[in-house]
Amino acid sequence: MKIRKHKSDLVILFATLGLMALGLIIIYAIGPMRANVLNATYGTDYGTNDFFFGQLRSVGLSLIAFFLAFKVIPYKYIKKYAKPLMIIAIILSGLLWVLSIIGSSLVKCELGECRWFNFGGLSFQPAEFLKLAMVIYLADFLSRKKEEGNIGKWREFWLPLLIICGISLFLVVIAQGDLGTGVALISIIFGMLLIAGVPAKQYLIMLALVIVVAVGAVATSSHRMERVDAWMATLTGGESSDSTYHIENAMLAIGTGGFFGVGIGNSVQATGYLPESINDSVFAIMGETFGFVGLFLIMVVFGAMLLRMLKVAEGTQALDSRLLIIGVFSWTLAQVVVNIMAMTSLVPVTGITLPLLSYGGTSMVFITFAIGLVLQLSCYTSREVIVKNEDISSRRGVRGAYHSSRRRNS
Amino acid sequence: MPRNNQYNQPVTSSQISSHRIKILKKIVFVALAIIAVRLFFIQIIEHDMWVAKADEQHTLLETIVAKRGEIYMMDGDEPAAVVLNQTTYQIIIDPAITEKDAIEKALTTYAKDYIVVDLDEVYGREGLRYSIVAKNVPREIATKIAEEDISAVWFQKNNQRVYPEGDLASGLLGFVNADGLGQYGVEGSLNGLLSGKDGLLKATADVNNVALSIGNDNVKIPAEDGKNIVLSVDRGLEKGVEEKAIDAINSTAATNAAVLIMNPNTGEVIAMANLPNYNPDDYGNVADASSYVNYTTEIPYEPASVCKNFAFSAAINEGVMTPDTTYFNQGYEIIDGWKIQNAEQRSMLYGTINMRTALYWSLNTGSIYALKLLGGNSNEITQQGREKLYDYYYNKFRLGRATGIELIEAEGFIPDPNEGWGRDSVYANMTFGQNLGITMIQTATAFSAVVNGGFYRTPTIVKGTLENGEIVSSAKNDVINEQILSEETSSAMRSMLVNNRDYKVRAGIDRAGYSIGGKSGTAQVIKDGAYDDTMSETVGTYIGFVGTEGELPKYVIMVKMWGEGQYLDGGIASGLFDSLSNYLIDYLKIKPKA
Repeated sequence: MKIRKHKSDLVILFATLGLMALGLIIIYAIGPMRANVLNATYGTDYGTNDFFFGQLRSVGLSLIAFFLAFKVIPYKYIKKYAKPLMIIAIILSGLLWVLSIIGSSLVKCELGECRWFNFGGLSFQPAEFLKLAMVIYLADFLSRKKEEGNIGKWREFWLPLLIICGISLFLVVIAQGDLGTGVALISIIFGMLLIAGVPAKQYLIMLALVIVVAVGAVATSSHRMERVDAWMATLTGGESSDSTYHIENAMLAIGTGGFFGVGIGNSVQATGYLPESINDSVFAIMGETFGFVGLFLIMVVFGAMLLRMLKVAEGTQALDSRLLIIGVFSWTLAQVVVNIMAMTSLVPVTGITLPLLSYGGTSMVFITFAIGLVLQLSCYTSREVIVKNEDISSRRGVRGAYHSSRRRNS
Repeated sequence: MPRNNQYNQPVTSSQISSHRIKILKKIVFVALAIIAVRLFFIQIIEHDMWVAKADEQHTLLETIVAKRGEIYMMDGDEPAAVVLNQTTYQIIIDPAITEKDAIEKALTTYAKDYIVVDLDEVYGREGLRYSIVAKNVPREIATKIAEEDISAVWFQKNNQRVYPEGDLASGLLGFVNADGLGQYGVEGSLNGLLSGKDGLLKATADVNNVALSIGNDNVKIPAEDGKNIVLSVDRGLEKGVEEKAIDAINSTAATNAAVLIMNPNTGEVIAMANLPNYNPDDYGNVADASSYVNYTTEIPYEPASVCKNFAFSAAINEGVMTPDTTYFNQGYEIIDGWKIQNAEQRSMLYGTINMRTALYWSLNTGSIYALKLLGGNSNEITQQGREKLYDYYYNKFRLGRATGIELIEAEGFIPDPNEGWGRDSVYANMTFGQNLGITMIQTATAFSAVVNGGFYRTPTIVKGTLENGEIVSSAKNDVINEQILSEETSSAMRSMLVNNRDYKVRAGIDRAGYSIGGKSGTAQVIKDGAYDDTMSETVGTYIGFVGTEGELPKYVIMVKMWGEGQYLDGGIASGLFDSLSNYLIDYLKIKPKA
């Protein structure tokens, strides 16, 4: 089977670039306020535009990563290193854990959670790398198992999968206390398992198992339970407290935005009321700034991007490529939905960034790299609906790939 | 294997995969739809509620405190500050944060004089999280300590009144209480003028309460600072007067003295003292609230024989009496069954004497005779006499009525000439200043009319406001400037009053070339509802004038001395008057007749 290369998916391309540009604009508007609040509260010495330049640097690095994945490094080449990449990712997260236990200065901790390596001011979050590695690894692993006909078998399939996913989740959720990334990982795993063709019964049992473990993990952890309580309090209009402060102020920001928003540079919630205003809570600030209209458009852009990813996956013949695309889709979906639902008090706050918009280098670099890979693969889709014709190779000469045939006609 | 019905072919893994991608599509739609509905709910339906909450959280409502006006006295022709403002700081520490050495070092290096506690003791107390360790620390020193950057130390800003002259004229000036409200004295009576009008700042603020330029309903009403008030009181004179009064208290049985000096030709008060003073910096530390009272304006009393001036003036002004009018003095009168006696009972005074002699010896029978003459019957007190006296006391001399001076004032009372029992005896008593209640300022203002040619002038103690270094005189409403006595009456009274001090001239107390006249008063005090005839406690008063011989008097001096359970007569008060009149001549360089 050989599919001619054609143009990439422009919707995903422009959605990605547009969202990054919007992120830059919003950070430009509220970065000075953030600097001001931090300086006044903690006596730091941030310059007015430090956060904007920080985001600009992140966007620059992300564009390089994006370009590399999109145009330079073929997926086939990356796929070869799926296993080593996964091992490196686990080692990095493990190393972070060990170093944080011994209290190394190479580890950067914030609010008691040690999630970053720190190399002289440059920080790196291995969990972000782990998500990418997980997508690449599972795409390879699941497609191989499929080929071998081992999907759904205990020894050949479930056992290695449980080990690798269990270690990853342990390192992220327990060692780094990063529930947000944990949710993204679970979404990636289950999204890819779904498309890999795991028997429905097994799939649902595993899903139920994970839900039980997750609920147990939350119920036995006091600080996670606190978040759930806070969420319940804001939903039911209960007493305000320190733990409801974040979500209340996120809702306050979104609510004051109204239909059209207060306009760029007029956000008051960004002047220190809303915690994490430039990172995890940037959606709320956008709600205040751009109003319902703005948020709706942002959702439309994310929605279009996600649906196009599914479309690309649908048109991708090779299972490994298709799984990779579904992995990136699941990753993006989880981050977008969990982040926004937390900001609107539909789920408890987990601490997860909004892809392409939130301030933060590592997360943006890795997700743009992942989206870049999707774009690379979007050049090799066939529009033919597979259901109608099992033997794809026989279609050659009959109709050919949609795009390629169109090109031929022009 | 499941079957695909349409094509009746085995369902392949690709078909399953494609089917499952549709599930993911549905998940995207459902999730985004839930979020969109939620956003619509928060942003459109609940919008007003969130805006109201935001206003509550973001709005900074701050009073811009108006600067309180300062108070000045005159130093010659220039205003001199006697009450100033200063921003000072309280230094507060949290002893639970042990930075004792750093704090101790900083305090002893910079603020040694302001420490109010024993640091060792503060640190010895269990669980103490808050302790004021230094007070009234000036800004420069507070800044230096702040630069040490000790985390357990913080500062409380105070706007404080500062008194460069210490306790000078405390009864006149008053104080500002902890709430910033003027109490007593000028601070109290002119509080509105001094405090100005606070402004208001309503702004959208950041989380640290710093006002932002965001928001379109920001309001800023600037504060209107209070006026700087210049009193007509002369600072140097006031100091000297208070020193003399303290000397008088120390050398007599008196515990208190009040002094009022005014210009009878303008009504301007140039000295007003209430001794002993209290420390306005520590106003809470007084025995009782009477320490704050300005006795010259707030306390009506019976100035006693000083009032004979008013009864005599009335009779002379009505043309029914002259200084040479004679009557038969038998040492007492019986009126309404009461025996009213003269204090002075020497035999040489019995028989027919003139009014000049009666005033000199302060004979009660003399002033009662003036009342009789006012009534047109030299043998008895008549209704006409009472009404005439009332007319002079209340309507002309404005006794028992607030004068309108810019201070807290009591009114006092003058009994009605016709209503009530025993009017004749009451009015007989009124001629020598008992049975009525009048303040020192009322008495001195009326006395000014007696000696200044007959003009009643509203007394004043405020020269104006100080604006950009210039004194701007404030417009005064309802100022009375009315001739109530004839020139001749006034002249006759002056000559009698000068005559009263004949013995002072002979004693060398009153210097040649000056015209100094005066009248004493010794008031019995009401004990258990009746005048105490044992005279175990009396209030001594002296009122007089000072001027160049042959000219109108320049100043009126009134002195009151008293003490709980002490006998203090007009003679004792005259002693203080004597030292004050001489001091005044020297201090104000009043020239003798050439």
